[in-house]
Amino acid sequence: MSENQETMTGKTRIQMAMRRKKTDRVPWVPFVGVHGGYLVDMPADDYLRDSNAIIAGVDKAIDLYQPDGIPVVFDLQVEAEALGCHLQWAKDNPPAVVSHPLADGIGIADLPELNPGSGRIPVCMEATSILRKKHPDIALYGLITGPFTLALHLAGTNIFMQMMESPDEAHTLMEYCHGISCNMASWYMEAGCDVIAVVDPMTSQIDPASFEMFVAPAVTKLFDMVRDRNKLSSFFVCGFAQQNVPAMAACKPNNVSIDENIPLSFVRETAEEHQISFGGNLKLTSVLSMGSTKEVEMHTLETLEEGGDTGFILAPGCDLVMETPIENLQAVTRVVSDPYHREFVKTLQAAPVIEEVQDLSERWQDDKVIIDVITLDASSCAPCQYMVEAMELASRPYGNKLQCNEFSIKNKEGLRMMKALGVKNVPVTVMDGEILFVSQIPPAREIEKAIQKKLAAKNLL
Amino acid sequence: MKELLEHIAYCIEYGKINIQSPFPPDMKGKKGADEYTKEALDAGVSPHKVLTEGLMVGMDKVGKKFRENKVFVPQVLMSAKAMNTAMEHLMPFFTSGDITPKGTFIIGTVFGDLHDIGKNLVAMMLKGNGWKVIDLGMDVAADKFLDTLHAHPDAVVGLSALLTTTMSNMQQIVERIREEKPSTLIAVGGAPVTKEFCDKIGADMYAPDPQGLLEELETAC
Repeated sequence: MSENQETMTGKTRIQMAMRRKKTDRVPWVPFVGVHGGYLVDMPADDYLRDSNAIIAGVDKAIDLYQPDGIPVVFDLQVEAEALGCHLQWAKDNPPAVVSHPLADGIGIADLPELNPGSGRIPVCMEATSILRKKHPDIALYGLITGPFTLALHLAGTNIFMQMMESPDEAHTLMEYCHGISCNMASWYMEAGCDVIAVVDPMTSQIDPASFEMFVAPAVTKLFDMVRDRNKLSSFFVCGFAQQNVPAMAACKPNNVSIDENIPLSFVRETAEEHQISFGGNLKLTSVLSMGSTKEVEMHTLETLEEGGDTGFILAPGCDLVMETPIENLQAVTRVVSDPYHREFVKTLQAAPVIEEVQDLSERWQDDKVIIDVITLDASSCAPCQYMVEAMELASRPYGNKLQCNEFSIKNKEGLRMMKALGVKNVPVTVMDGEILFVSQIPPAREIEKAIQKKLAAKNLL
Repeated sequence: MKELLEHIAYCIEYGKINIQSPFPPDMKGKKGADEYTKEALDAGVSPHKVLTEGLMVGMDKVGKKFRENKVFVPQVLMSAKAMNTAMEHLMPFFTSGDITPKGTFIIGTVFGDLHDIGKNLVAMMLKGNGWKVIDLGMDVAADKFLDTLHAHPDAVVGLSALLTTTMSNMQQIVERIREEKPSTLIAVGGAPVTKEFCDKIGADMYAPDPQGLLEELETAC
């Protein structure tokens, strides 16, 4: 961990980024939803109904991914279920709404009253309260179903035509959904959430005029309410919703978060214009879920470069795919939180492709042990410098029996050696071709032990 | 006569259903697709012409605007509703054989997936373009596609998925169809689906939007 990181908590980092204030680094918020179930080996349908499982899943995600902020529950069906929509549950996805009471002849007035005890709301709030106590330094996101998506759950696709044919009815429904959103937001804030994220993916399906007419009034009031309580707000939308991003920003949330369907640069400019924060847009499936760690690192770096350092929060485009490989999300963490690793990825990205693998068979000798330290560049990377110094110091007493070399990956020779030795991270220490110390500078005792072992193998002690 | 067909196309493009329909606001109180279609048929315009030079022209325009993000789902649904109203007048001619559909298209969202907005848009666009559409709904298993395919052996099959996790179910359905009816043309689509995925699972057609599918079908059939 670098010095900078210790000066700021994740929660502070999020709070400052959301207000477009300088932070020591870009904050990172993995949208862990059913992925939490994967982390605790539980199917989605059990996970999302059990507050203890959610607590364990989020705990594990915090431990593995060192996030600055994290959602407690990512399930856009909680309110709909409590209001009488039937759900179809799945093992590897959040549930899906399969009945729409307002389309089945039930009136708004006949819908069940929403209270803190309805449906799975107690599960969400209990998980929030406990996680709040366990992780005071992490920003907790309370995710609520956006009013338009909730309207669609309740009325089905009829809402689309209702907006055109009977706008008054559509307004009444949106007003009702706004009330539900306000209740959920209040309960999440009381339970300890720092950020209220309004997730309204279905708005990607409508035009800006409809958005301004039906969605904007409801969410603007909601964000005002959150602001009045000194909490922060975010407006998430998944899908191709570029047409509505300026209107979303005009609703005055603290942050707008989008997915890979929208260029981050467009959102950055819009956010700047409205002086709000913005987030996104790591590719959920093609990179985070299906890519290699190397692809994830490169993609994270590109996203960080596109997002810049003012008001940007790094996050996946939407709810993480349940079985997203843990090592891929840890790769994001590494790039966002370790400036040296970021520099390493950047160097590799710009480096020429080394096609041939150098034959090292002639390199190893019977009368000495060869120590190769692969670095970014010992002069500009402090951990690299310490590792080189530690190895040189430990080698000194053995004279000619040890040969210590540094290879910087900033030149071709270093890149060739990196490839030949199969090194994936820097700094790294390799003794006679065996990768021994990666990233961490080991205590002198351990270096000594490794050297002795290698020398003994060649009868050089 | 030409004017009536242009009115039909215009009403469908802008989602004007009938004289009572308040949408679009600037056409309030004016006749819609319903009235103009009836007038055209009463005036002796052939049903085939009403379909190809009226309905299809309107749907083609709205399909293109949807692809270019000039209109969105609500507007397309209004156009589809206008088209369905007009189509009611044409149904007897399909039954009598005066109009022959371009082909039969069996469509459904694959099992495990309960999202149907995209699938419905495709079904509407195809209907408006002269295809006979058999909509199997959502969460459709391979057996149901195959049973329907046995009843309509020359049909094209369209598989839709919104969730990344159900894309593998799409693959299973393609494999089953390939085993039992290898010559069937299969189209795939949905937000996470790509051309690369289509090729990988051995489907024949992929399009990112309904209009694209229509173009693919024109080439393939």
